[in-house]
Amino acid sequence: MMIEGTQEYSLNMGPQHPSTHGVFRMVVHLDGEVVTKVEPKIGYLHRGLEKMAESRTYTQFIPYTDRLDYLAGPHNSLGYVQAVEKLMDTEVPERAEYLRIIFAELGRIASHLVMIASGSLDISGWTPWSYCFRDRERILDLFEMTAGNRMTPNYFRIGGVSQDVPEEFMPALKSFLEDMPEMIEEYYGIFFGNEIAQSRMKSVGILPKELAENLLITGANLRASGVQYDVRKAEPYGIYDRFDFEIPVLYGCDTYDRHFIRLLEIQESKKIIEQAYKDIPAGPVMTKVPKVLKPPVGKVYHRVENPKGEMGWYIVSNGSTKPARVRIRTGAFVNVQMLPEIVKGWKIQDLVTIFASMDLVLGEVDK
Amino acid sequence: MVSDILRVRVIELAARFNGEVEENLGELELTVDGRYILEALTDARNFADVPCDFLHDLCGMDLGDHLEVVYQLSSLRGPQRLRIIARVERDNPVINSVTQIWKGSDFLEREAFDMFGLQFRGHPNLKRIYMWDDFEGYPMRKDYVIESHEQRAVMRVRKEGE
Amino acid sequence: MDALNNLFVNIAAAIRGLFADSHSFGADLSINIIVFIMLFLIMVVAALFLSLVERKFAHWVSQRSGPNRLGPHGWFQFIADAVKMLGKEDITPANVDKFLFKMAPMMLVGVTLMVFGVIPFGEEMVAIDLDLGILYFFAVSSLTTLGILMAGWASNNKYSLLGGLRAVAQMISYEIPLIFSLLGVVMITQTFNLSAIIEAQKTIPFIFLQPLAFLIFLIAGIAETNRAPFDHVQGEQEIVAGPFTEYSGLRWGLFMLAEYGNVVATSAIAVTMFLGGWYGPEFLPGWLWFILKIWLVIFLMMWVRWTFVRMRIDHLMHFAWKILLPLALVNIFLTGLGIYVYDLFIVRIGG
Repeated sequence: MMIEGTQEYSLNMGPQHPSTHGVFRMVVHLDGEVVTKVEPKIGYLHRGLEKMAESRTYTQFIPYTDRLDYLAGPHNSLGYVQAVEKLMDTEVPERAEYLRIIFAELGRIASHLVMIASGSLDISGWTPWSYCFRDRERILDLFEMTAGNRMTPNYFRIGGVSQDVPEEFMPALKSFLEDMPEMIEEYYGIFFGNEIAQSRMKSVGILPKELAENLLITGANLRASGVQYDVRKAEPYGIYDRFDFEIPVLYGCDTYDRHFIRLLEIQESKKIIEQAYKDIPAGPVMTKVPKVLKPPVGKVYHRVENPKGEMGWYIVSNGSTKPARVRIRTGAFVNVQMLPEIVKGWKIQDLVTIFASMDLVLGEVDK
Repeated sequence: MVSDILRVRVIELAARFNGEVEENLGELELTVDGRYILEALTDARNFADVPCDFLHDLCGMDLGDHLEVVYQLSSLRGPQRLRIIARVERDNPVINSVTQIWKGSDFLEREAFDMFGLQFRGHPNLKRIYMWDDFEGYPMRKDYVIESHEQRAVMRVRKEGE
Repeated sequence: MDALNNLFVNIAAAIRGLFADSHSFGADLSINIIVFIMLFLIMVVAALFLSLVERKFAHWVSQRSGPNRLGPHGWFQFIADAVKMLGKEDITPANVDKFLFKMAPMMLVGVTLMVFGVIPFGEEMVAIDLDLGILYFFAVSSLTTLGILMAGWASNNKYSLLGGLRAVAQMISYEIPLIFSLLGVVMITQTFNLSAIIEAQKTIPFIFLQPLAFLIFLIAGIAETNRAPFDHVQGEQEIVAGPFTEYSGLRWGLFMLAEYGNVVATSAIAVTMFLGGWYGPEFLPGWLWFILKIWLVIFLMMWVRWTFVRMRIDHLMHFAWKILLPLALVNIFLTGLGIYVYDLFIVRIGG
């Protein structure tokens, strides 16, 4: 059959594709190389965590939370254990609070490093990628020496943390913090300052402020669109109100800013960890909690600022040992919706860059 | 914790729609009938001084005799938080979609549909999001029977013409 | 030193000497067969070795492990890779155009091998000493576009097709600055013969007379060989592997062979045209100098590949047509002016 003129065609990207960062699938409608429409299809990593939570006790569910955003394990558990603690009105020892902050922020740095790395890899920057992973490795080593696991440390407990950090942890943390300015300079030099990289990313995939708010985008993507909002400041959880840090905000709304804001956030996280490192008190790391947890009947909605966006934990207790409902609102899941809105008219190459700038982790998208 | 202004506004709103206001661990909770949800959310969004204009989360909930849709509202410009719960009948779980207020509620509603079978009226693309298209049943409902892996044997039969 | 310098020439003469009439048909045929086998071996070994060096280079630049198991510091890895590739299953997908699908890798390798025919590896060490060597090089090397397009079309895969079309757009665009950048050298030497061009560089390599042309040639050459930052044809992050997506086993290996072979050929032309070919300080034989210079150019290309990120495809086109081509024209103009002034000078003072 002969077809007159040009024709749009659809290309199935994923779930196995080098740059969909996991098992994300999108059906791309193309006119030559130009994207006319994208339909995201998710669910390939759906494990039904919410359903699983209903048949496990409160403590048993903690390891599962690490698997949500597996690049920043600690912060997910932080949200969950704090929500349960709020429900049970449990006090957490000071040292545990500080350790939690250190771990959560280290997780944020690790996650942002992977984001920058994969963002550069998606425009074929192999060297920045391996630099970022080289440095992320040191964070994972810190996790490993404390909790035994690297990516999903399963370190936090309801009422504290599982154990105190080993002796060698603090010196290793210190040397990592000392090396960080140099690392950041290196990333800037090879990736953000690179002329070609800038021309690839600047003014590509604009997400205006109003659209971002209407699409319920959260996290660094929102801050790159000019909204200065961070749960750590707006509604400080844990002991975040004790630290002096800033919320970086950029007004470019484009792919470059969405990448660059991660670098700025790494610097802020470093500030927080430095303060926590200085102030951390000695003492116990676990409070006394009953062997069998039975929170009183009630509901709680607890929000934390996950590296990928805001994470909300809605936990409904019916007074038994198992929760009646655990609802996880993940940032990445909602953030997926910005993709079809901002890729129209860009080329298939830019689609990959824009997708990378959204910083999705499929564990969090699919729960 | 809860500002007085917000409490006043919410009580006013509750009076209009015959709802109940509760305070739960420092959070206001308004329960209304599912029929009024669009109006209630529009009003909450436009509260004077304390607009709850950011839909933080939307999820379903199975309470046995009826279903609920839970809306967690907050704002990007203030500390106010509000939870609005809409009651929906279990046999006829139809509720208005809020995609016209927040475009981003699209996926959240699709998820609630997928997991609880809530029918959102006016949703542009109400299809399953996590489960596959011809999956039967709504897994997060309490009466969903979890079968063993062997028993379930999910074999998808290829449809004619696929 | 002279013996070492003329080693290969003497071997060829010795082989010819085995025949009663050293210029008979039989002697020519056997010399040609031997030369052909030698060239093929050079290409295969260079390509295999290059695939290893590439990874070693990545290890040095990006601080990753790189191959480090087989042999001292992993330097024998390429042998294992070659053996592995030979043993892999060759898959021909169901809905491909079988003839074109199988032809494409062979054609690419054949074309690359043809380019090697005119490269003067040393004094009198050239398989075919064509008078129109440069023209031949361009005519033959532009055929690689066809091979890649064949692979992209025959694979019956959207990613492959996109890659094939990109190859056409990119390689044809970059062919023009590539050719124009060499015209300056041709204007100076008044010949298309590659050996003659090298002989003209006995006193001074043309990189000092034509620095701009060398830069243009290097950039366009990187684009011609589809290496980063111009690797849009493969663009693994967006179109998986472009035309090579559906290939496996030895066929895929042939593509890689052709790719690395092209890199060596392009570097060899750069050495011939700009870096003075086999000339160098006397302590090493000429052909060794030639090889060392090739590796220098390859080193430059790798450095670029592991430092820069891929350009956008529209920027790529703009770069070729709006920057490189005008620069090449300017270079030709300046060369012409230089020759004119030089002639004037020689005539006034010398004559």
